[in-house]
Amino acid sequence: MDEKERKQAIYPVSTESLQQNGKTVYYIRSVTSTIFGVSAGILGLESYYGFLFYFAGTAFVSLLLFLLLARGQPTEYFTSANDIWIGNALTGLSSFVLTWTLFYGLVDA
Amino acid sequence: MATAPDLVLDPSLRDWVLFPILLVMILVGILRHYITLLLQSSPKQLDLLAIREQQSLARGVSLRSNGKLIPPSSFQSRKTYLIQAFKNGIFLKDQEAFKNKDEPKAPANPLAEPGGMDQMLNMLKGNMVMIVPQTLLMSWINFFFSGFILMKLPFPLTVRFKSILQSGVATRDLDVRWVSSMSWYFLNLFGLRSVYDVILGSNNSAGGGMDMAGMNPGMGGLQPGQDIYKLYLSEAENIELTTHEYLLEDIEDRILEKYE
Repeated sequence: MDEKERKQAIYPVSTESLQQNGKTVYYIRSVTSTIFGVSAGILGLESYYGFLFYFAGTAFVSLLLFLLLARGQPTEYFTSANDIWIGNALTGLSSFVLTWTLFYGLVDA
Repeated sequence: MATAPDLVLDPSLRDWVLFPILLVMILVGILRHYITLLLQSSPKQLDLLAIREQQSLARGVSLRSNGKLIPPSSFQSRKTYLIQAFKNGIFLKDQEAFKNKDEPKAPANPLAEPGGMDQMLNMLKGNMVMIVPQTLLMSWINFFFSGFILMKLPFPLTVRFKSILQSGVATRDLDVRWVSSMSWYFLNLFGLRSVYDVILGSNNSAGGGMDMAGMNPGMGGLQPGQDIYKLYLSEAENIELTTHEYLLEDIEDRILEKYE
C-alpha cells in the first residue's frame, strides 16, 4: 500500500456524494444547453457561430460551476478538477442542436 | 440580406407537423418511462439457504476490501474461517449434491433455473419497450408527414446527407439545409434527453439505450447457471493472497500529531 492509497483509506471518499455531485453538474449542463439552444435560435446564429456560442456558453457555465458551486475548490467535490471543466461538456450538444433548430425555424418562418 | 428568402414555408406546417411531432415524442418518452417502471418485476423472494449461498461470497469480498479496518488478530480469524468454509462448501444450498459431486454434472441450463428465466424476460421486456415505440413512430412519420420540406437547419451539411434528410423530396438542387420531417424526428430522438431529465428527473428510462446498463437490477453480479463452488474456491484463494495492513496501526501518534 503506497502513500496515496493509504491516504485514500484514512480519508475515504463517499461514492454516493460523488455521484450526487456528478448528477448535479449533469442536470445543470442539460438545462443550460437547452437554454443556450433557445437563445442561439432566437439570435438567428448560423453554422459555426452557433457551435461557437455553445462552447462559449459551456465554458461560462463551467466557470460559474467552479466559482459558485465548488467555491474555487473542485477537488473538494470531485475526484479531479476536470470533472467541472471538461466533463459533461458534450452531453448537452444534442439538446442544444434540437432547441437551436426549433427556435431558428420558428423565428425564421 | 435584403434578398427575398429562397423558400417560404407555410405556417400551418409548423402548427400541424412540427409541434405535433415534438409533443408526441415527449409524451412517448414519458409513457416509455412509466411502462418500464411498471414492467420491472420485483426481485423474487429466495429462501434462506439460497440467500446465504449468494451473500457469503459478498462476505469474502467485503473482508478483502474492508479488512484493513480490523486488527490483525480479527482479520486472521475471519480469514481462516472463511477459507475453511469456502473450501468445504458449508454455505452451499444443496449439501447433498456437493457430497456426491464426483460424478460429472451436466452444465446447467440458464433457462432451467428460476432466476435465469426472469432475467432474460426482463431484458426482453426492456428491449421491446425501446424498439416498439420507435418503429411505430418512424412509420407514423413516414406515412403521414413525408414528401415535403418541414424546416431549415441553422447549420450547413454536406451533400451526402441529402438522401437521408430530404427523403421523399425529389428536388435535385435544393440546399441540404432544408430538411423533411424525418430529420426532425431524429433531432428529437437524440435531443429530448435533457427534456426528460427535467420532467422525470435524472435516472429516467425514457431516453435512448444509453441507460440500459442501469435497467437490470442484477443479483449481486451472480450469473445464473454458474458453478458457485468454483467461485467459492477462487474467492478463498483471493482471501489467502490478501495482505493485511491495519489502518489504525499508529493512530495514537497521528491523533497527537493532528492536535499538537
